[in-house]
Amino acid sequence: MITDRLKKVICETLDLRLDDVEIQDETVANQVPGWDSLNHVNVITAIEKDYNVRFKSIEILKCQNIGDLQNLVNSKVG
Amino acid sequence: MAQVKLDESKTLWERWQSIADKTPDKEAIVHWSAGEEPFRWTYGELVETANKFSLALKKNGIKRGEVCAIILKHDPMFYPLYMGISGAGALPAVLAYPNPRLHPDKFRQGLLGMSQRSGLDRILTQRDLDSIIRPFVEMRESTVDELMFPLEWDLEDISESTTRDLQVVRNKVLNTDAMLLQHSSGTTGLQKPVVLSHKAILDHVSQYGEALKIDEEDIVVSWLPLYHDMGLIGAFQIPLASGVKSIHIDTFEWILAPVLMFESAHKERATLCWLPNFAYNLCADKIPDDEMNGYDLSSFRMVINASEPIRSESHKRFIDKFLPYNFNPHALSTLYGMAEVTLAFSQNPPGQKVNEITVDRQKLAQGIVKLADENTEVKRVCVSSGILIPDTEMKIVKDDRSEANEFEVGEIVVKSICLFDGYRNYPEKTAECMDEEGWYYSGDYGFVYDGELYVIGRKKDIIIVAGKNIYPEDVEVVLNELDQIIPGRVIAFGEEDEELGTEQIGVVAETKLTEYEDLRKLRLNIIRAGMTIDVNIGKVYLVPPRWLIKSSSGKPSRKANKERILAGNDEAIWTEEKFRQTSVER
Repeated sequence: MITDRLKKVICETLDLRLDDVEIQDETVANQVPGWDSLNHVNVITAIEKDYNVRFKSIEILKCQNIGDLQNLVNSKVG
Repeated sequence: MAQVKLDESKTLWERWQSIADKTPDKEAIVHWSAGEEPFRWTYGELVETANKFSLALKKNGIKRGEVCAIILKHDPMFYPLYMGISGAGALPAVLAYPNPRLHPDKFRQGLLGMSQRSGLDRILTQRDLDSIIRPFVEMRESTVDELMFPLEWDLEDISESTTRDLQVVRNKVLNTDAMLLQHSSGTTGLQKPVVLSHKAILDHVSQYGEALKIDEEDIVVSWLPLYHDMGLIGAFQIPLASGVKSIHIDTFEWILAPVLMFESAHKERATLCWLPNFAYNLCADKIPDDEMNGYDLSSFRMVINASEPIRSESHKRFIDKFLPYNFNPHALSTLYGMAEVTLAFSQNPPGQKVNEITVDRQKLAQGIVKLADENTEVKRVCVSSGILIPDTEMKIVKDDRSEANEFEVGEIVVKSICLFDGYRNYPEKTAECMDEEGWYYSGDYGFVYDGELYVIGRKKDIIIVAGKNIYPEDVEVVLNELDQIIPGRVIAFGEEDEELGTEQIGVVAETKLTEYEDLRKLRLNIIRAGMTIDVNIGKVYLVPPRWLIKSSSGKPSRKANKERILAGNDEAIWTEEKFRQTSVER
């Protein structure tokens, strides 16, 4: 399940409001308006900053959807 | 180290076979996937598997001269399949694997446009695209007869009679026969098909190889998509036909983890690569230093910038970032070219620093090249695209196609032994850009200074985002379907983004909406509409009715409206950022 905190970071980075887009476990990045390959790094950096964690490139590559990203965040903060 | 010596092969097929016979154990392709052991093809195994594919393709009814489109994810079998299609006398054409956000209808619409122009006969793909592509194959207007899944074929199940048939086909192939089809530029359905012969490609291998001083020990590293000329010709065909190893990284993986290119370059000791300008910014700004720890980039002898405008600042950032990893600044290089001349037309010589000149921007806008001095108010740094490669000619012409004078800007017009014969099934487009003397009108503006070519802009309104050409018309058509935009009153244009080192797409649309909530919903709908054609719209400007300036044809002028938007001083323009800013101020 995607937390409101993660949704908020994603939406703020992409100039969206929480109710603009439905973000679920199986949502993939490029289904979210504005989240394309060029600003992917910006979204990841914003998440790292908000949670004060660091992701390795290979960890990000393994994320197939936002659910995987949430699990990755949880594994770092937990 | 020894410069590559090329044999007298008449076809690409003969060349690959001849290299495989001489050096069967030499590595040809290293297929790179993040976190896995790379898949390594030697020339011997690669050509043997390609032969098997040729036979399997014959067995499946592929005929000489047919166009076989390949739509595959990053897969080690791509390379022998591509070669096998050519070895069966057919023409391979690589098409982009659809991004999941691209609407299936738009994808099929693109395929239809492409099939009618390019005359696609078969599509070779993988099973998970069956449900998306099959409705297209079954459409009455489609030229495609069959959908095939070559990764599922049993390549051992080949009879002797098909082997004999294959030899008969190969013996008939002339070096002037078409070898491949690639698409020059553009988005859905508007791409222009360029067919190149064995001779054009072999000549280019020799012509461009000479300019690069390509060496037997060279190793190319690339993440470039193989549907793009720089990836297909630069990173795949040229090394393969020169007997040189190339490393191929998945484009989708690279963009998420650009460090992969340096990891593979370090481990394999890569010497050459081609990059569009945005990649210099991405690598310099987005790769964390801890991920570069221990990497040594001293093996690079050329990192060549091409396929979108070259920015001095991007080179500076790249050098600053990678100097500590032993990157040689003189390895930075530049290229100018296009699919119509196979790939390259001009190239900065190996080992030579890329020249830059600072000119008066206002004069440049008037078409005059004047070096900046202490009195110059607005300056522009122009980066050289090098000198002409062998067997090419160039002139700079004015709008009336007469030759420009020294220090004058004009359209770059080219001739090359590797020039294409015209767009396939597109005589009107060919007539627009080629004259009876065989000059190709590039549509790019530039000038010559001290014997070097400087490319500064485009005659056409094409937007180049991260090396990908996008026609504003494609974006405008899809936005015109939105109810809240006044019909026909929308334009798209390229807006320079210095941070990203590329352009992003800006859109100006007239609307009767005035309330904040309505405007922000329209902005979101515009971004979503762009996503259906796999285009990311970076900036949305909403304006009231009758705001857009019309051109003489009565349509909104892209150039004039872009200038008006970028002037940024019109209160009638609504943007999300501006709204938030004024809300904060209030």
